[in-house]
Amino acid sequence: MEVSGLDFRYDNGYKVFENINIKVERGKFASIVGPSGVGKSTLLRLFGSFLKPEHGEVLLHGKPVLRPTPLISMVHQSIVTFPWMTAEENVMLSLKTKGYPRAKCEEIAQKSLDMVGLQGFENLYPKEMSGGMRQRVSVARSLAAEPKVLLMDEPFAHLDELTAEGLRQDIYNILFNPESSLECVIMVSHNLTEVVELSDQIFVLNNNPATVVGHLEIDMKRPRSSRDPVFDNYLDQLYAMLTKKKGGTR
Amino acid sequence: MGLILLSIVIGWAFAYSAIKSRIFENIYISIIEVFESVPIISFFPIVLIIFVDRVGGPLGVELAADFLVFTAVAWNIWMGQYQAFKTIPSEMVEVTENYNFSLWHKMRDVYIPFSIPRIVANLFPSISDGFFYITVSEVFTVGVTSYSTFGVGLPIDKFAKNGNLNFLVITFIALGIFVVFLIAIVREMGNHAVAKYTIDTEAPIIKRGKPRIRQTSRFSAIVSQNTLGKLASYNRVRKGPEDLEELFSREKKNSKIGIIAGVLALAIFVYIIYSVVMFVMSVSHSEWSYLFSQTPALLYGLLIDYIRVIIITLASIAFAFTLGYLLATRRRAEAVGVPLIQTISAYPVPAYFPFIFLGIYPFIIAILGPLAEEGVVLFLGFLATFYYVFYSFWMGIKAMPSEYNEIMNNLDMGFFKKMRYVIIPSTFPYLISGISSTINSAWGGLVIGEYWPDIAGGETLQVHAGLMKTIDVSTRNGNIALAGWGSFLFAIIVAVYSILFTRKMMDLARKKYVAEEGIYSV
Repeated sequence: MEVSGLDFRYDNGYKVFENINIKVERGKFASIVGPSGVGKSTLLRLFGSFLKPEHGEVLLHGKPVLRPTPLISMVHQSIVTFPWMTAEENVMLSLKTKGYPRAKCEEIAQKSLDMVGLQGFENLYPKEMSGGMRQRVSVARSLAAEPKVLLMDEPFAHLDELTAEGLRQDIYNILFNPESSLECVIMVSHNLTEVVELSDQIFVLNNNPATVVGHLEIDMKRPRSSRDPVFDNYLDQLYAMLTKKKGGTR
Repeated sequence: MGLILLSIVIGWAFAYSAIKSRIFENIYISIIEVFESVPIISFFPIVLIIFVDRVGGPLGVELAADFLVFTAVAWNIWMGQYQAFKTIPSEMVEVTENYNFSLWHKMRDVYIPFSIPRIVANLFPSISDGFFYITVSEVFTVGVTSYSTFGVGLPIDKFAKNGNLNFLVITFIALGIFVVFLIAIVREMGNHAVAKYTIDTEAPIIKRGKPRIRQTSRFSAIVSQNTLGKLASYNRVRKGPEDLEELFSREKKNSKIGIIAGVLALAIFVYIIYSVVMFVMSVSHSEWSYLFSQTPALLYGLLIDYIRVIIITLASIAFAFTLGYLLATRRRAEAVGVPLIQTISAYPVPAYFPFIFLGIYPFIIAILGPLAEEGVVLFLGFLATFYYVFYSFWMGIKAMPSEYNEIMNNLDMGFFKKMRYVIIPSTFPYLISGISSTINSAWGGLVIGEYWPDIAGGETLQVHAGLMKTIDVSTRNGNIALAGWGSFLFAIIVAVYSILFTRKMMDLARKKYVAEEGIYSV
């Protein structure tokens, strides 16, 4: 998946991005970081074609993506579930447009719920679940759509630290499970530790209008420990990229 | 406008009394809930009995018209004010207590400003209802006597009867300009109120315990629109002061205000009941026998009217689901369409419908043949009421979490799947509230449409059967007893329907279909 030469401005004329170029290879977990308000979530919505760029294009397998598609699935920052549907029905929602018989939908939903560790909770309604369980439901719903690309907008931001840590540990294995159709994940986050823990590639956004000011490949075995000096080194590099002024000084 | 202002001022006093006195709150909310779920038109016999018969004279007629218009505008504004006072952030109240604000300062600086967005939101339907009943109630005929009071309804009626078309057109244009002007002001007020008086902090709100009766979906709809709504489920207990005798004495004073207001409201209520009972006692046995013998025919008429109401409601829902969806999802269409529909809905149907009748009647006769009058009445009912469900649905879509839109687009859902799985469930509390109002107001449309002598071009619009026609004809013939009895039966059945159906749906909406609960954030 890639975006090339992307420019974007809001309705009020404010230019958010200029010439953004990002390419995420198959099998990679990529993250986008940047200061608050730089447009990280907006960029993710451009990846998903929820917003249209002023210039440039979004490509999947080399073909332009012109509108939202289940092939590129979004997990929101605010954890989104439908309160009138059970966990299973929430997941089955993403299969409604596929025309599968009900039994097959149930089977896929069940498999997706199993994948995110919610077996046995199929019949609970969202309000009967914790925040972490709800986020797992929304991840399961995205996975059930059999996407090629998963877009995650600060997926742990609304979880308490312990729950977030637990889900972070699981998420990589959930997403790159052999049974998953996923080819790559693009996550937006402001939490640098989380980003180094999960990512293979990190793109740093900064400036006004925002551009990609840095790119980091993380070469560490999983699971990664934040106490590892190599981990610290990556964090320092990221910090340096984020705080570097235009023109080269920190 | 005077009645709307009056109802707002009284509403503040009642709302404050309600949050200060549990007893008053329970009585007050129960009464409002019943009144707002019963069609305004069912108050007509009470109006005739109390004001025209008992008070009498020009004052009685003026009071009768005022009462009908008042009942049309008051309840939803009062409910909005109560909900605002009930959901005020506890921090705001604590600040007023911290600085020992007097009641006047509390009201002026905190409670009243906080209630303004809710009041403005309720002004649109109130103005529409108000104009409708102004044109209906300022001139009415009982037997050989025609009662009238000063207002725009009077010249419209006079010019129409005299066939004075030029003056009639001028009056309509003047009314139209006034309505557009008024709607523009209310829209501006709405924008100002949202910009200035709404708060977006996630602060805990006071909940002093629910009223004993079940809450309406109007409550849940408004609470769920509020950014504080999602926090409404947890109660924060305000810490009591260590000593502060003064505070205790103030609380006592406040509860006294609540008791006085409660007693006053109760006294008015008892007087109304007393007047009705005295009137009923004065009816002779033979009269009662006559009324009972007419009951099957009245009930048959009610059944026919219910079928009409269902058709009008279904048409209104279909209109809302298509145009409401279109406007809510297309910004440019919305910028033109919504103010246009607001203006049309505020322009009283009885004022302009004769012109439509003249234009469409020949075509409707050609298409529907013997059912032409039925078609016209249904169309009139639709015009009188479609906007309630339209607005509710439109507001429901606007209030839907933006993430839901993204998910629907992401999953590439078509119109019907979007509607079935996401939009209708998300907007369900709004829809129930809107459908309920549409049903109630459809009766108003039927009252004027089922029997309209000399509507235009010497034609009389009347249907074959219908309770509203019977009530209208009996009133005009001076048979107040039959009109009153028909209205009484109507009110009973509608109230039972409201309790058994509408409230159940409202409870369901509140329990299961609150879209904001689907968005989890800490």
